[in-house]
Amino acid sequence: MTATLAIFLLFAGLAVVCAVQVVVQKNAMHSVLYLAFTVLAVAGVFFCLQAEYLGAIQIIVYGGGIVVLYVFVIVIVNLREVVPEKRKFVPKLVIVLTPVLLLAEVAAIVFGRAPVPASGEANGLELGAFSEALMTTYLVPFELASILLLAVLIGAVIVARRKDLHDPR
Amino acid sequence: MIPVNLVLGLGFVLFLIGLVGVLIRKNMVIMLMSLELLLNGVNVIFAGLGRHLNSPRGSIFALFVIVVAVSEAAVGFALILSYFRQKNTYDTDDLNELKG
Repeated sequence: MTATLAIFLLFAGLAVVCAVQVVVQKNAMHSVLYLAFTVLAVAGVFFCLQAEYLGAIQIIVYGGGIVVLYVFVIVIVNLREVVPEKRKFVPKLVIVLTPVLLLAEVAAIVFGRAPVPASGEANGLELGAFSEALMTTYLVPFELASILLLAVLIGAVIVARRKDLHDPR
Repeated sequence: MIPVNLVLGLGFVLFLIGLVGVLIRKNMVIMLMSLELLLNGVNVIFAGLGRHLNSPRGSIFALFVIVVAVSEAAVGFALILSYFRQKNTYDTDDLNELKG
């Protein structure tokens, strides 16, 4: 077992354990803290996969932006009381069966076949190749992403604003 | 060298946990968090396959997934805040105004 594989397994285990905690925690604030752990662990996985740019973006955008946004929303909405979660039989059956079937698929993928050998010499992705492809081949989606972000900025402000300045709510 | 099967397995497991969260929780904020987990799982798969195929495309697609995830989180929060201001609740069971 190489050192890279050991570090990858460490981060992967951390990510999975914290992700389960996000879902099962009763208190929403605890869920947010576990979400932060998960996001940082996934960033570690990206670094192990030599996707350094992606790992940095993950830490900045998720760890620095989205998690703080969640904390603010939970403070504003004041999520304190626990919602009782009761369901009828058929939805419960679907909820149990879907993840079990998908888990079987995961097991088939991970343990089913021997690992496919890599197609090329794995010498790591160069940041140069990444940025060159982003700025040439994928220039149009890149620009569309900025239009999407602008639309989201305006749309979020319009949806969440108060209708009147003196509206108490 | 990390086997690609392990990376795919990790991505699928994260996706699965997120899907379970969206299905079983009734709290809208935690459902949004589970959506983030789901998109993170997809990103892990993209990064792992990009590494496996030795191509920058995996990272590029994961970058676009992150952009869409951020947009979704922002709009989702705006909707939750707007809904909370009107109804003073965040439980999905109370979202039944359109029921016939």
